[in-house]
Amino acid sequence: MSDLIIVGAGPAGLRASIICARNGLSVTVVDEYMKAGGRLLGQLYQEKDGEWWNGLQESERLYEEALSSGVEIKLGLSVIHIENSENAWTVHTNAELLTSSYLLLATGAAEAPQPIDGWTLPGVMSVGAAQVMTTVQRVKPGNAGVIIGISVLGSAIAMELDMAGIHIKSMVLPKKTEFNEEFANPLHVMESLSHISHLAPSKLIQWSSPLLKWKYMRNLSTRFFPKRGFKIWDFPVHLRKAALEIVGESKVEGVKVAAIDINGNPIEGTEEIIEADFVCIAGGLYPLAELAALTGCPFLDAAELGGYVPLHSEKMETPVDRLFVAGNITGIESAKVALAQGEVAAYSILQHATNHENFKEKVNRSVENVQQIRDQAPLSFNPHINEGRKKMQNSWNEWLNEHTKSSHLA
Amino acid sequence: MILCRCEEVTYETVRATKEKYQCDARELKLRTRAGMGYCGGRVCRPLLDKISQNKNERLESQVIPLKYQPPVRPITFQRMQGDHHG
Ligand SMILES: Cc1cc2nc3c(=O)[nH]c(=O)nc-3n(C[C@H](O)[C@H](O)[C@H](O)COP(=O)(O)OP(=O)(O)OC[C@H]3O[C@@H](n4cnc5c(N)ncnc54)[C@H](O)[C@@H]3O)c2cc1C
Repeated sequence: MSDLIIVGAGPAGLRASIICARNGLSVTVVDEYMKAGGRLLGQLYQEKDGEWWNGLQESERLYEEALSSGVEIKLGLSVIHIENSENAWTVHTNAELLTSSYLLLATGAAEAPQPIDGWTLPGVMSVGAAQVMTTVQRVKPGNAGVIIGISVLGSAIAMELDMAGIHIKSMVLPKKTEFNEEFANPLHVMESLSHISHLAPSKLIQWSSPLLKWKYMRNLSTRFFPKRGFKIWDFPVHLRKAALEIVGESKVEGVKVAAIDINGNPIEGTEEIIEADFVCIAGGLYPLAELAALTGCPFLDAAELGGYVPLHSEKMETPVDRLFVAGNITGIESAKVALAQGEVAAYSILQHATNHENFKEKVNRSVENVQQIRDQAPLSFNPHINEGRKKMQNSWNEWLNEHTKSSHLA
Repeated sequence: MILCRCEEVTYETVRATKEKYQCDARELKLRTRAGMGYCGGRVCRPLLDKISQNKNERLESQVIPLKYQPPVRPITFQRMQGDHHG
């Protein structure tokens, strides 16, 4: 039995493990991937100040640091079930049974599916899959690809593919369906792109971001957006074209696209085929919270955070006794925020486990640090993230109110 | 268009079932088998949720519409029976 089991060896889980181990807890980290680092592994981009963010190197550094701090790391092991009884967690995996006093879920995020006709053809994958193939496994996903969906995530990954010498023919919006209102609306997409303007050498997108603050300007800029698209890196990005279907006999041969109006509706007679041998679909990300759901933890549905998120305080505690959360399971944000949240969770657990006064101060300071890092984050997945965080805090306070009231009565 | 790859259930089938029975996510799953395959709904779960719920319903709920059941990853029957002993 260990003091703490952490599910997920991403930035949040690893950072938390290091702090807890250095402060005397016995810590076991479990991750189903064969390498530690989580989604950090695939990340490679230049930040606002020109510095490169190399996720592979950051992962290795965290992994080494965790090992040398005495953390036990079990890779290639999936957690399939968790149970809370009396004073211990029982963690079921696909190979062994583990137990601990405290449990930290740092399981990150998953990609939301974006169905489109032809999406089951071989050669179609999510952008996240293309990212892992390219930057982690070093396998080319194909020779010439089309990316469906224009998003911060898709753009960051497209740039990585581009740097790896993989030919991206173009990036287009998806056809409007009941599943993707946000992702198919040119105005909405444009707003979200303004947050990565520093990644785009294109003058157009750099200029446009301060202007986006005014709605009518945003309207204007989309209306005048060139029909030919604009170039962010080496490939055209089309905010005025949508993918109608992925075509091919027994594998991907191309994407049928059409021009769209300002509301995202296809214009008849403008269909054309872009040839390609692979297609990446860029949808959104959602918090991977299935294990939290098994504990009976209440959830909040907040679009700003990416969907259903386990109820938690800014100190990363949940309503479930000895259960903590950190990283993207609490809402979709960049790796640096996940790291900072790992720190908060670690100090909260330490405070809970030891009752030492000096961890209280550390908790408060690390909570402030998260907000600072959030404000400076190089990538922001949702422009309204702060509203989402506020909603969560309100729900937590409500829960706390009810809970303390009822326990007084009891 | 296929929604659930494991059970090969199409969007058209799920939509028609929803219209006919006005059912919630769970009933939709049981009627069509969408989300009941090998991957445990990893791919189509969010889509089923979206089809079966309108926005207002979502906002009020504190529970995820389609219940998660262990095991949350595919495992062998042998492992399931023997659990950790197997
Ligand atoms: C496809 C994709 C691309 C991304 N690209 C970027 C980017 O370019 N820049 C950026 O800043 N952010 C990116 N993100 C966001 C990313 O989630 C954060 O940057 C950061 O990695 C989150 O850290 P985390 O520790 O919360 O989770 P993660 O890094 O996702 O780590 C979670 C870990 O938990 C493990 N896990 C989950 N469930 C189980 C289970 N049941 N049993 C065992 N192990 C489990 C996973 O294998 C994974 O290693 C991306 C996310 C995704 C999904």
